[in-house]
Amino acid sequence: MVRLITHNLLACHVKGCTSNNFPLQFKDVQVELREAEFNPDFLRGFIPRLEWGALVDAARQLGDTSLPAEPPEMLDDDFLQKLHHVLLEVHIEEGAMICPNCNHVYPISNGIPNMASAYHQPIHNVVN
Amino acid sequence: MGLQYLFVFAQAHEEFRIPELLSIAELHGFEVTFPPPPSDISRPFMVLELESEVHARILARRCILVKFVCEFYGRGKAYEELHEQTRNNREKWSQYTQDTSFKFFISAYNHTVPQKRMKDVVESFHYMDFQGKIDMNNPEIVLACFEEYRDKRGTTRHKHEGDGDFEEVFFGRLLEEGTARPLVKTFDVKKRAYYGNTSMEAEISLLMANQTLAAPGKLIYDPFIGTGSMAYTTAHFGALVFGSDIDGRQMRGKEKQPGIIRAAAQYGVAHRIIDLCTFDVTRNPWRCGELFDAIITDPPYGVRAGAKRLGRKARPDKAPRPKPAEPFSSKRPDDEPYIPPTMPYELSSLVVDLVLLARYLLRPRGRLVFFLPTVTDEYEELDIQTMLCEGMEVVANSLQNFGTWGRRLITIRKITSERYPPPTFTSAQDTPDDGKAHTPAHKDFREKYFQGFKKAEDEQFGETTET
Ligand SMILES: C[S@@+](CC[C@H](N)C(=O)[O-])C[C@H]1O[C@@H](n2cnc3c(N)ncnc32)[C@H](O)[C@@H]1O
Ligand SMILES: [Zn+2]
Repeated sequence: MVRLITHNLLACHVKGCTSNNFPLQFKDVQVELREAEFNPDFLRGFIPRLEWGALVDAARQLGDTSLPAEPPEMLDDDFLQKLHHVLLEVHIEEGAMICPNCNHVYPISNGIPNMASAYHQPIHNVVN
Repeated sequence: MGLQYLFVFAQAHEEFRIPELLSIAELHGFEVTFPPPPSDISRPFMVLELESEVHARILARRCILVKFVCEFYGRGKAYEELHEQTRNNREKWSQYTQDTSFKFFISAYNHTVPQKRMKDVVESFHYMDFQGKIDMNNPEIVLACFEEYRDKRGTTRHKHEGDGDFEEVFFGRLLEEGTARPLVKTFDVKKRAYYGNTSMEAEISLLMANQTLAAPGKLIYDPFIGTGSMAYTTAHFGALVFGSDIDGRQMRGKEKQPGIIRAAAQYGVAHRIIDLCTFDVTRNPWRCGELFDAIITDPPYGVRAGAKRLGRKARPDKAPRPKPAEPFSSKRPDDEPYIPPTMPYELSSLVVDLVLLARYLLRPRGRLVFFLPTVTDEYEELDIQTMLCEGMEVVANSLQNFGTWGRRLITIRKITSERYPPPTFTSAQDTPDDGKAHTPAHKDFREKYFQGFKKAEDEQFGETTET
């Protein structure tokens, strides 16, 4: 859990933190690899949603350098297998994600990131 | 004209039957036609037209409410009429008369046919002249006959009383028994490794999953996932599931491995739970829209788990509360490190926000499937129309009636491919308070529920504590 597909879709949402708030940086992460079902159609359909550079960087941070810097024109099986592994089979179980802009820390425990912690600071300014 | 098939439904969730058939037909790209006269949806028998037998089998294997599907031969208020139609349909069954082994299956709805008359019924089909051998255990074909009686609940009589006095009788060749129906047992909440008091019953969770058109290669999201009831059924049909909840404890339970993952593992679908995240959906971290093929959810309405959103109720008469504790000061490591203050989230504005969120997060043609609890006597169709926004259209609306209140399973489709900005979750403030706006019956559902649905007096509700 906290697969790289998820990491690629989450941005910091602390009130007022609206630029340079993605991708979140990993800190002290504990990684596990777990097999997932390979579905080439799903992958092809999802590529347009990905921030490719962020994905490649996140994978490199975790020691996986299998992805090219740009998505290839030909989405052959070999490439899709690599993408499959990076997107769906790398799980971050413990650690944290940190906003590159406001440094807010999102803790991950037992595979579940707590994205609700973003609210505690500024919320007092907003309501009341 | 297509081929005619007799569908026999489970006697439950009447209003869900046709939406389920249409959803599975859409998923597999075929049409279902309803020959006239219009079918009375409260009756568990329906004759439908399909282009091929393959389609009939697909429906029987995926629809939770289907008990039997037959190639249709005849029906009647009396057997004479049924036999006449069956004779006229000779070309459908003549191929089986030579040397096909067979048996008859005589059954009744709301009644038990006595053994002796069963024999008479079978004999009345002698004109079909089946030459093959009768094989009770493993016949090549089963000829099925269903008598439909009026509901006798509330009357006491002998089980055979009124025998033969049926409303209508149906006949055909059995194609398939509904093989999805046993999933209701498979997903039984009480046998689940993890569940809670918000868990949705298995049958409804399955029906909801079918409304989403769940299938391999799809990504489906539950933004109020709680203990994950619908995640298991959607994942069972092959979809990948993403879940979030404001309260991490609902998803985790008490053990180290999150409860939702434990239950998903029991069903062999843990690998399809993409991720679970803790956040308030009204302040969500999604980087972009058009991510999901469907959103499936049972939104909070404050009866079991409170409908909450982060922030505070305005308390003009009171001094601000002390600041809550800092994060990471948790003494119980399995709990969320920090639970921010919350305020109630009124149902009608929640639902408007949910539709807007779905328009943002769904891909074009994607579906939003959710339950709307409402007050039975006050509900109007306008309640649903007024929750829609541009680009979103209602596909189905099925009532599960509990008496004074009920809940409606609403299926909405995104019919636009235009990109919309993320919603601001301010529908409560945005609706003009000029007295002209329509007030839906589900507004303030929580308060109405706890008042036992007395007619709305214009009273001020005090502060409530949610659990
Ligand atoms: C009716 S329950 C859903 C139950 C779920 N279908 C299950 O199987 O357990 C509603 C859920 O919404 C959550 N919730 C309430 N307000 C929320 C919000 N603003 N954002 C996200 N989740 C919220 C509650 O914690 C609760 O788990
Ligand atoms: Zn930030």
